[in-house]
Amino acid sequence: MIKGKCWVADDYVMAYNIIIQEYWTTAIDKEDNSRWVMAGVHEDFNSENAFKDRGYTFIVAGHNFAGGGKSIEHVIAGLMGAGIKTVFATSFARLQFRNAINYGLPFVTSKDIDKDCSTGDELEYNPQTGEIKNLTTGKSFDSLPAAPFVAKVGQAGGLMNYVRDKIAKGEAIT
Amino acid sequence: MGMTITEKIMANQSGRSSVKPGELVWVDVQSVMTMDYLGKTCFEKFKSLGKTEVFDKDRVICVSDHLVPPPNQKFATMLNEWREVVKEHDITHFYDLGRQGIAHQIMVEQGHVLPGTVSIGTDSHANTYGAAGAIGNAVGVTDAAVAMATGKAWFRVPSAVKFHITGEWQPFVMAKDLSLHIMGMMHWNGHLIYKTLEFDGPGITSLSMAGRMTLCNMTVDLGAKNGIVAPDETTKAYLEGRAKGDWEMIASDEDAVYEQSYEINLSNLGPTIALPDKLDDTVPIEKAIGKKFNKAFVGTCTNGRLEDLEILARIMKGKQIHRDVNMIVVPASQTVYLDALRAGYLETLIMAGAAIDTPSCAACAGIHTGVAGDGDIVLSAGNRNMKGRMGSKNAQIYLTSPAVVAASAIRGEITDPRTFDI
Ligand code: SF4
Repeated sequence: MIKGKCWVADDYVMAYNIIIQEYWTTAIDKEDNSRWVMAGVHEDFNSENAFKDRGYTFIVAGHNFAGGGKSIEHVIAGLMGAGIKTVFATSFARLQFRNAINYGLPFVTSKDIDKDCSTGDELEYNPQTGEIKNLTTGKSFDSLPAAPFVAKVGQAGGLMNYVRDKIAKGEAIT
Repeated sequence: MGMTITEKIMANQSGRSSVKPGELVWVDVQSVMTMDYLGKTCFEKFKSLGKTEVFDKDRVICVSDHLVPPPNQKFATMLNEWREVVKEHDITHFYDLGRQGIAHQIMVEQGHVLPGTVSIGTDSHANTYGAAGAIGNAVGVTDAAVAMATGKAWFRVPSAVKFHITGEWQPFVMAKDLSLHIMGMMHWNGHLIYKTLEFDGPGITSLSMAGRMTLCNMTVDLGAKNGIVAPDETTKAYLEGRAKGDWEMIASDEDAVYEQSYEINLSNLGPTIALPDKLDDTVPIEKAIGKKFNKAFVGTCTNGRLEDLEILARIMKGKQIHRDVNMIVVPASQTVYLDALRAGYLETLIMAGAAIDTPSCAACAGIHTGVAGDGDIVLSAGNRNMKGRMGSKNAQIYLTSPAVVAASAIRGEITDPRTFDI
């Protein structure tokens, strides 16, 4: 069970606004990337640690979260470094969806989540059942449970660990 | 039940007899591409997996494209580190400055992508490889590192959407116009997220490889997983002497299942243009005619090929670029550069007043070579026009075909090449 405050985003939060151009060529590092994460999404987040310092645990978004076709993993690293434990959205852009799976940060699809949450609401998420409860308003939402492979990668702490372990044991990757 | 070409490739490359949309498979990859600003991290991640040698030195393809030639010391140093790491791993195919090109162009042009196989790259427009009848897919450095170590990548089998293209291409109408038209129809990152897009029909059979590359290239901007054109005689002729390996013809089954099918008749398609800031805000050129601009740009993995430079030369021959317009043309690779030089296209363009620059991504990602400043209005044959993409957030970017850029650069305002006096 994960519990914490949420930040509600608009539709079309773009990957290249989550991490702005100046930082595309820096190293991928959770701590480092988190300092300027979301800088391009909102004026209020455009100062060092601005997003991180608000202490959000969840992001609630609409259509195509982290879209715009950037494959940089700084986006996911930055969100994780800022303390984000799960992102809920009505849909995700495929490149960052893939990166999130590979990093073990749950990107969870939930149909109506964007309609009934406000920034600052307290949410509770049960990864086993997929239930998302808004403790502030008392509303609940369903979400798609993670596919078995995604869950396995998540448990391993990401694809790197998952594959490293298989290589070390000489196991086939299937 | 029949399979689409994408399903067949995923089945073949994962050692199964069939796959269904939604299934998760690990496929064998043909080539893994990485480039200058992400490559070093790829190799570091690869090493941390406990391997010292990549799965196949001939099939990890390294390219310098985003940062070359280095515009500042920071990038020069990054490039030096990148070269070190490529050398250390004894990579066979390293397309560094002097032999460079935009990675996606290199991958297809140099035959690293084969029909019926899967290739991945650490840049979003790896979808371009679909032009060669392959699955081309953009991934992050983690996936690339895993593939470098194991020769494999995981995929969820996508459901399919078909675009059946009928009719004949009208004069001065290019694959880019079709791409932009589809963008307006389906929306940028809209309903096509995660899908495989298949293009077929007489309008595709008659389309050149360059055109197919443009079309597949921009499927990533539709949010799709991949775009693909089944190999045919055009593919075969193109790959002759280029393909780094054997390949076989492959096509979708007659009874393959598509979630949706669309038909587009080319007799109704004219030059198309995306208005500034949003890729899917596309209009027929008639709605933008007369709009003034001050910068023209032709290049990128979308429209920097020989065919694109040929049409520029055809339209601009014996003419002068308008005094209020600066035009930069950047061939997509050294091969394209040399071919265009030999064909006399570059001479024509220079005589018309265009600046030619060495192959690279150039201003496309706002990194170097003609970036946009405050107040610039750019008419570009590239692929992205969001605020700040080419530099300043206070610049506007219109996207269109090379033919439109050529005619418009002469007039100094957006012009329909069909009514332009050649
Ligand atoms: S040309 Fe532009 S879109 Fe293509 S790879 Fe380079 S930066 Fe990306």
